[in-house]
Amino acid sequence: MATDNANAGGFGEVSRVRGIVFEYLSFGASVFGLVALGVLLVYVAIDAFDLANASPEWLLTYFLTLVVPFLAFCLYSASDRDVTRRALGALGGGLVAVAALFTAVEAFVAPIPRLNWQLAYLFVVAAPVSAYLAYVGSGGRVGAVGFGLLGRLVGGVAIGLAVGTLFLVFDPLLWFLAYTLGVLPAVGLYAVGRRRSTPRAQTAAVPVALAGLIAAVVLRDVVATYPSDLIIYLWTVAVPVAAAGGLLVAGRSGRTVAALVAGLPLAAAAAGGFLAAGVGLPGPTVLLVLVLTGVPTAVYVSRVADAGEGLAGLGLPLLLGAGAIAGALIVEAWGVPAPDPWLDGSFLTAAPSRTPVEAGLYPAIVGSVIIIALVAVLSFALGVGTSVFLEEYTPESGALGTLTRILQVNVANLAAVPSVVYGLLGLGLFANLLGLGIGTAVTAALTLSLLILPITIISAQEAIRSVPDDLRRGSDAMGATRWQTTKNVVLPEAMPGILTGTILALGRAIGETAPLIMIGAATTVFRAPDSLFSRFSAMPMQIYTWAGFPQADFRYGVVAAGVITLLLILVGMNGTAILLRNRAERGS
Amino acid sequence: MASSHDADTAGITRRKSLSALAGAGALALAGCTQSGNGGDGGDELSGPINIAGSSTVFPLMSAVMEDFAAEHPGVDPDISSTGSGGGFSNFFCTGDTDFNNASRPIQPEEEELCADNGVEFVELIAATDALTVVVNPEADWIDSLTTEELAQIWKSDPVQTWDEVRDEFPNEEIERFGAADTSGTYDYFIEAILEDEGHTSEYQATEQDNTIAQGVSGSEYAIGYFGFAYYFQNPDQLKALGIDDGDGPVEPSLETASSGEYTPLSRPLFTYPSISSLGEEHIAEFARYFVEQTTNEELVANDVGYVPATEETQEEQMQKLEDAIEQAQG
Repeated sequence: MATDNANAGGFGEVSRVRGIVFEYLSFGASVFGLVALGVLLVYVAIDAFDLANASPEWLLTYFLTLVVPFLAFCLYSASDRDVTRRALGALGGGLVAVAALFTAVEAFVAPIPRLNWQLAYLFVVAAPVSAYLAYVGSGGRVGAVGFGLLGRLVGGVAIGLAVGTLFLVFDPLLWFLAYTLGVLPAVGLYAVGRRRSTPRAQTAAVPVALAGLIAAVVLRDVVATYPSDLIIYLWTVAVPVAAAGGLLVAGRSGRTVAALVAGLPLAAAAAGGFLAAGVGLPGPTVLLVLVLTGVPTAVYVSRVADAGEGLAGLGLPLLLGAGAIAGALIVEAWGVPAPDPWLDGSFLTAAPSRTPVEAGLYPAIVGSVIIIALVAVLSFALGVGTSVFLEEYTPESGALGTLTRILQVNVANLAAVPSVVYGLLGLGLFANLLGLGIGTAVTAALTLSLLILPITIISAQEAIRSVPDDLRRGSDAMGATRWQTTKNVVLPEAMPGILTGTILALGRAIGETAPLIMIGAATTVFRAPDSLFSRFSAMPMQIYTWAGFPQADFRYGVVAAGVITLLLILVGMNGTAILLRNRAERGS
Repeated sequence: MASSHDADTAGITRRKSLSALAGAGALALAGCTQSGNGGDGGDELSGPINIAGSSTVFPLMSAVMEDFAAEHPGVDPDISSTGSGGGFSNFFCTGDTDFNNASRPIQPEEEELCADNGVEFVELIAATDALTVVVNPEADWIDSLTTEELAQIWKSDPVQTWDEVRDEFPNEEIERFGAADTSGTYDYFIEAILEDEGHTSEYQATEQDNTIAQGVSGSEYAIGYFGFAYYFQNPDQLKALGIDDGDGPVEPSLETASSGEYTPLSRPLFTYPSISSLGEEHIAEFARYFVEQTTNEELVANDVGYVPATEETQEEQMQKLEDAIEQAQG
């Protein structure tokens, strides 16, 4: 106070030094963490894709066929002269600067291991500029269409693979019965009820669904012959997805377009699935990927065509695909030595092995995906339930209020309990006492759900608390019951915040190793788990084991490939959750 | 006229093609069914095999398992690296695993625990390991140690500097990196070198060979010990010391370990199948396969880095195993 008011007599000068120092210190703090993480990720990526062995010619080829067209597309979409000038300046200037700086450091300070200036340019200049231009480009109409289409293609493939993975564990035959007897009639009833506005049909939907599910469970062992998996997926996933796509379009563009939007991807997916099965590929997965990519893409294309704006953006996937093919052809024709990445198709589809080249992560990927899917459902249900109860239903004063506060403090403290302790809890409670089995997927999912429960509860509570009381009072004043207020006002308002907390917590759960070790999860398995009660391995367990192998190829290449795979799956998972959250934000 | 004729043929072809399509569809559907119980049947082996135990035996067991799993698609094996002791007390003697790997023989208190839970087992020798003592490759002042000197460095009240071990060594502090006390390597090192003197606690303890290697390659005055496999795969990263048990220094290698010259640090590695598990055909078959593979030089020596069993040992183990299987199944 004394110093700030030293010149209180008039408009004296206040020293700005402290403010400037503080600004730069906070800048330094943020840069320190980001740069450290960035360097780590760059090295992991170099190891995983064997970029240290990529010749400059190879890098140049793909830079010209893939990166340059992409940047040109973004610049075209942005169509802003300033941006173009800045981007070209950064790319050109960066080239000179990085090359000069890199050579100088190598010559005068110390050699930089496993990196050359071309790679440094790629990571330090080209990647950030591409990201910036993608951001700017997506602001333009053409860019938005291009990225929207690309996102649907990539997202469709990811969701198709995820659904295919879940069907490895959940009995498709039971699902077939449940869908045919329960889900389909219930949805049909509900739709008819809505269209004819007969509430009775709508209320009947829930009991019909329940009766169908029970019938499915009963009939599962009675029925002896089932359609093949491919037909089950076609009937229970592909047809409804296509129908939903068609309905979405029908209202806007008419029946012919709707039939095309639904029919073309469905036919392509069915044909692809049967062809793939014919040549020995996993037909059902191909079918799922094709239909979950094809239908959203078709819906999107028809929407863009209707709007008639930014049609050129539809060419972006073609541009990238053509670039990749052209690059491969040039490399092949030129005979340029290409890197041999550790992270390739066989790494994702093979079982672990004692030789680094043959080692794969497939069983662990499936294990992790299944566990995380279960954890997401469990922790969301438990977390939202607990936080709604604590925030909306418990009294704020009196003896019960004190009890609630004590409970709150304990929940907050639970978030800091070491994960090993949760592992012990899982071993004692779920594996031994409840007899769910040592090292089974369901034990792991329950343990990890408990582990992240405090985080989900606290963040959901914060989200619910931040819903203004005016909204609740307003709802009360309209004569709404507490349940109606919670359902119609509080939860929709709080949903984005609740989802954010769940996303963060899931990110922690997917990387946990210690509790998995405690519940006896296997270090290495050679087959993907085929039920919730089979023993499994998760990605962090397998990666940790590889890091301890004596061969250097395991410790660098294979581990790096595993880390990148884990990161990609995490990004995919978070991306899905963020899309859901944004939808919830827009809805409210 | 012509048009009606055309319509007729068109009608016939349409009907024909429709029925052909229906026939093809029925055929396709008939080929597209599966039975509800999902079993592929047959006498093919199938079922899970659960294995836990020593991290030293882990690479060998998982290599054998990889080949067995590739040959028998119905078998679903899994393996955990828990340390010999952790595997016995937490999983094997409670009846949760079918095999436990160990880098030292089972201890009396573990036998008791197994007996309390009614778990019977048979001891099989898997391979021979040469416990390797390593120093930094730049430490050119040292090539070998006698067993007494090793004991001085690692006993519970150890010497602090190198010149206390031997006069010509430099006057520098000793940095120690070794196996954690859950590890069979730790137990074996005590038994072979330290005996009653106990293991020092002034060292970096870990289950990961990598950590030991990193630590030792970080300092010229560091010393560590671990299984032979790591040194075998990375001979340039570290320097292995010859061990003098009274007959002059002997360096660790596959040859010196199998000929019995490398004493007292060459040790047998074990796996313990539970007898009740051997009652299941796929587990008995896996145990037989494992014993067969213990003489496979390509796999045991080249891929993993241990000394394969001799034909004689293998025959003995096979006899032991067959007796146990007979006891379980008969």
